Amino acid sequence: MKNNKWIVLFTLLMSIVLLAACSYGGGDETSTQGAEGEGEQAAEGEPQSGGSVSIPIVADPTFNPWHPNAYAESNVVNRVLFSGLTQTGEDLEPIPDLATEWETSEDELEWTFHLRDDVLWHDGEQFTAEDVAFTFNEIVLNETLGANNTSYFQMLQEVQVVDDYTVKFIMDSPVAALPAYLSFNTEIIPQHIFEGQDPWDLTSFNKENPVGTGAFKLKSYTSGQSVVLERNDDFYGDIALLDEVEYKVLADANTHVAQLLSGELSIFALDDLSAIDRIESAENVTVEARETPRFFWIIANQEVEKYQDVRVRQAILHSIDRQNIIDTVLKGYGTIADAGIAPALADYYTDDVTRYEYDPERAKELLAEAGWEDTDGDGIVDKDGEPFTIDFEIGIQGDLEAVSQMVQQYLLSTGFDVNLNAMEWNSMIQDVVVNRDYEMSLNWWRYPADPDLSAYMHSNSVAGNNIPAYQNPELDALLEAGAQTSDIEERKEIYIEAQKFMSEELPYIFLWYPQEAQVRVNSLQGVPDLAFGDALHHIHKWYIEE
Amino acid sequence: MLRFLVNRLGQSIILLLIVTIITFFLINLAPGGPSSTMRMDATAEERQAMVENLGLDQPVLVRYVDWITNAVQGDLGVSFNTSEPVTQRILERLPYTIELTVFTIIISVLLGIFLGVLSAIKRGKAQDHVINFFSVIGLSVPAFWLGLMLILLFSINLGWLPSSGVGSRGGEFSLWGYVSHLILPVLILTTTVLPNIVRFTRSSMLEVISQNYIRTARAKGAKESIVLYVHALRNALIPIITIIGMLIPRLLSGAVITEAIFGWTGIGTLIIEAARGRDYPLVMGVTVVITVVVVVCNLLVDILYSRVDPRVKNV
Repeated sequence: MKNNKWIVLFTLLMSIVLLAACSYGGGDETSTQGAEGEGEQAAEGEPQSGGSVSIPIVADPTFNPWHPNAYAESNVVNRVLFSGLTQTGEDLEPIPDLATEWETSEDELEWTFHLRDDVLWHDGEQFTAEDVAFTFNEIVLNETLGANNTSYFQMLQEVQVVDDYTVKFIMDSPVAALPAYLSFNTEIIPQHIFEGQDPWDLTSFNKENPVGTGAFKLKSYTSGQSVVLERNDDFYGDIALLDEVEYKVLADANTHVAQLLSGELSIFALDDLSAIDRIESAENVTVEARETPRFFWIIANQEVEKYQDVRVRQAILHSIDRQNIIDTVLKGYGTIADAGIAPALADYYTDDVTRYEYDPERAKELLAEAGWEDTDGDGIVDKDGEPFTIDFEIGIQGDLEAVSQMVQQYLLSTGFDVNLNAMEWNSMIQDVVVNRDYEMSLNWWRYPADPDLSAYMHSNSVAGNNIPAYQNPELDALLEAGAQTSDIEERKEIYIEAQKFMSEELPYIFLWYPQEAQVRVNSLQGVPDLAFGDALHHIHKWYIEE
Repeated sequence: MLRFLVNRLGQSIILLLIVTIITFFLINLAPGGPSSTMRMDATAEERQAMVENLGLDQPVLVRYVDWITNAVQGDLGVSFNTSEPVTQRILERLPYTIELTVFTIIISVLLGIFLGVLSAIKRGKAQDHVINFFSVIGLSVPAFWLGLMLILLFSINLGWLPSSGVGSRGGEFSLWGYVSHLILPVLILTTTVLPNIVRFTRSSMLEVISQNYIRTARAKGAKESIVLYVHALRNALIPIITIIGMLIPRLLSGAVITEAIFGWTGIGTLIIEAARGRDYPLVMGVTVVITVVVVVCNLLVDILYSRVDPRVKNV
């Protein structure tokens, strides 16, 4: 009897402890930092020098923007350590960085860039035109190296040194987007260190002691833990306000959120929006929706006959309630897309295109016009006795799986027999991107701040990133016209035309333009209204408000 | 004894060889190679250049022979993703995992044996039930959930402990900085390891204290504590050593989930990195090191048996 009492008592006690632990996951309590958080007035103080910020990265970085292993975690570091010829301005137009000004020849085949003469590498050497020529001629144009981002420079023939501080980019055909490309993960690396070396095996630079020209230089790096950068007092531009920038290597996304709320991290772009409510309710943290040049898409392999009919692609789009997916999975962080040029590119974006409302009935009509009807009453449309089956292959990352499951349900109810195969990311790349052995897939593109989407839908890019293998001379002509003029007014007209064409023909089955949920502790100020990656170009303006 | 050692060494080498062959071919058969870990928008040419740079255009068999030839000479190759020697990368990470293992094992063994003995001698009483209750909880609560809950409680709501990382090593040493980063990961690992030791100790002790010689020891008037800790425990130790011998390699091969949650830069996070990045040489290197750890631990356990129980002779 006595024993029983004990057992009852302890079980009760344990239940209380467990319940208490659970309720900490609930998320309506204020954190200790939040309680002493700053009010609105404090945010308007003068920028001050000092302090540091912490930024999460998911893996060890490679300090070389061109290295084939330099992924997103490296980009956010390299953008601060190194400089490009141009950088992304606050309105997303390219603005001067290492280059002070640039002009093109009449035929737009020669670009001349005038460089700053007051730039020092972090080791004290002078930066010159030779460094620019070396980076492009020896690294980017050397095909055996397979450097990152070379697809932007396929039309580049060579870079010529005119004098110590002037270079000429000689093009095979005009590329109006060149200044934008030069601001996107295409930073210059030092010739005096890389000359005569294998640029990928130079571990002393790529992994240990990078020498850049950026506003911050390397202070310390511990593999698997952190990269600490310190202010470069010899920087050619405005000297940074922060003393240090720390990148913490944290693989787990839940840890990012936990450290943001505990004040151990300062700023990042939130990938997994499931924690957004909790973050929005925290007092010491701000969430901002930022436009980014990205679009989500479904691709239907144009090598497969049934997807070549535009009515089938349109039917697919009419079947999907995209607003519902945006509201539920994306928590509202997105805008419906019917073409590829995102609202982030405000100069070029238009919503005056063919729109595809959620309309399953219209989808069925379009399918019937294309000869697909449910003749045997099994709920699946068929043609010549063949049911419409779709093999839908996606990679597991972020919210792709959740989105795809909803898409699958919508398509099923229209009458497509969809087999969803959510696979490990690398396997998906192998099937979809490398072997092109797929029927339908869902993913997204992030592109430089320029409306030139040739890399994704021009017929020349079928071996490249035109993964749906869509080929249409009309679209090709529009994309070429846009690439061949630097005149903004002229480009606007061309790209508005192109967007209308895209929305009618659906080379990609466009889904939405996602917004970035940028999370930031309130004490961090001076961050411009840009996507996180672009705001890093302006890190010298960031400061800590005590 | 010497013959036993030579024998075991021979077996171990064969085992190691088989493990490397299986691992090498498995990772190469897995869909998607290093070139598919590149960014989504890397072109076919960029991917092909990488394949050639890494020598992956050679047949798998040729690559295995190359690898094993270098490996027997102590060269585990160069990491695909960082171009650093694999041995160096492993040696950088190993100390952190050893640290976690040592603290976890010390706490778990001391506490585990004590609680196990207590639970056995109070069999059926309140103490026994309470200990059992917590053991079951410890065994069944998933580490990732408990880890996140503890971070929420101690780091975010109370602000007492850092939520992750190993602290600033190499900088100025502070005892609190060192200990505070260890507390949560060691706690999580202990909750998974401790119940095993408690339960094995309990059942092993229960068996021993019902033996005749224990009754004899009591009958000759030995003190109860001597009976328990000298006569009984020593004889109950063999199964306990076995389970500890199995737990140590499990911890040393990296408590993957715990290390990932707490951003602990040990072997566990290295395994994740290697597998995600399709870093074949690193996967192979880590596999070899873990296999060696398991083999050595088993050997030590066998040797310990004969120390604890002279009847066990490894001759």
